[in-house]
Amino acid sequence: MVINTRYLARTFHGLEEAAEICLKCGVCCVVKGYGCPAQYDGQFTPRHTYVYDCLGHDDPTSNPNIWQCVSCHKCEEMCPYEVSPVAFIEAMKIWALEEGHAPDSIIGEIEQVVNTGYAFPLTANTERQRQQLGLEPIRANENLKAIAKETGLLELLGRHRK
Amino acid sequence: MRYSFFRGCFIPVRLPHIEMLAMKLLPEFGVELAPVEGFTCCPEPIGFTVNHPLTGLAVSARNLSLAEEQGHDIITLCNGCTYTLKLANETLKSDLELRNKVNKLLSETGHQYRGTVKVRHFAEVLVDTVGLDKVNKKAEMPLEGLKVASHTGCHLLSPPEVMGFDDPQVPVKLDLMMEAIGATALDYSYKTQCCGWTLRNYGDRNASYTLLGDKLRAMRSAGADSVNVVCPQCLNQFDTGQMMAGRALKLDFKLPALFYLQYLALAMGYSLDEVWYRRHKVKDPGFEEKLGRILA
Repeated sequence: MVINTRYLARTFHGLEEAAEICLKCGVCCVVKGYGCPAQYDGQFTPRHTYVYDCLGHDDPTSNPNIWQCVSCHKCEEMCPYEVSPVAFIEAMKIWALEEGHAPDSIIGEIEQVVNTGYAFPLTANTERQRQQLGLEPIRANENLKAIAKETGLLELLGRHRK
Repeated sequence: MRYSFFRGCFIPVRLPHIEMLAMKLLPEFGVELAPVEGFTCCPEPIGFTVNHPLTGLAVSARNLSLAEEQGHDIITLCNGCTYTLKLANETLKSDLELRNKVNKLLSETGHQYRGTVKVRHFAEVLVDTVGLDKVNKKAEMPLEGLKVASHTGCHLLSPPEVMGFDDPQVPVKLDLMMEAIGATALDYSYKTQCCGWTLRNYGDRNASYTLLGDKLRAMRSAGADSVNVVCPQCLNQFDTGQMMAGRALKLDFKLPALFYLQYLALAMGYSLDEVWYRRHKVKDPGFEEKLGRILA
């Protein structure tokens, strides 16, 4: 398959080359009982599968469909040519986050983890249930902010905050 | 067997009854759960680690180092936590350059990753360490006649060379776990298809309902009374997700989903109320009645 990542701007450890040997056989997506879950989106068909859409997009990092990938690895397990679409799509997500293309659901979760140490919001209802069950209360943990500052993640989030 | 107890996020925040059951049941099999002060989110693989891997690895390394300081392997109750922590452990054990980089990031937190512990999902511990013969012996109220469709979940299976739990294309261990407590394990088409939780939360909601509908119909056709899962997100999808998909697709049946520890508790003499089944969204009188007869 002809792919359109910006070769000169950046390489992803040979992922583009791996994606290029995709023969568009469709096995990763058309086997319903086992293949790609994102193929269930009505916009994809056996002739234009989810994986073709991600690998062959004109600008893969701004393609909103990359965020449908659930990293289940089924595509790479099914591929008869050892292409790893999941690795390619994950690489595009990293790049997309840097460029400010990540959806709010992703940004919100990242901020939630960095600020509280939990990926899911703590609620009063949770606390009531934990009390009823005899479980100790949950305490937010703010230790991750220092790590996120060091890695540049905080700066990245600040840059793209609307 | 003493393990550092990694509760994760989703279970303590959304499904605390599973945490309670783990703390009550696992010690009965000699699996001691040591509390750890300061564990955070693993972090969640699809929303976090995939998108900023360096921070994700550093957060995982911090969690792993807390268990290292305690001197125990980690036990989890969640496929996502297992996936994140096993992948991070594998990466940091094999890539020394990256390990040094991550340890530098951790230096201010006072922790260092050394690569001395393993990460185990509780299902892996029950099957491979405790042994299903011991599980079988504790099942004094075997669930004889209950037909259960098990769903292992993507992130406990793949990539198999890291997860090391079961064959991702022909998983059997959850079926063996159900048989060990007397239930009938069912084979069904779509058995290895994803539950759709991640798709519902980060992708296309309707696609997730269609997918779940296919799975549920296949389970129903195989004769299932209920669904068995070992992952909190899968439980949420088969429960809350099923309620939503049921409305969207106009499904004319309900298939209650229980976490394996709930089935185990029932087989050890707990009632449906004591496993907090009433907290679930999808309840079915047919299932309740059948279970009532089995446990009578």
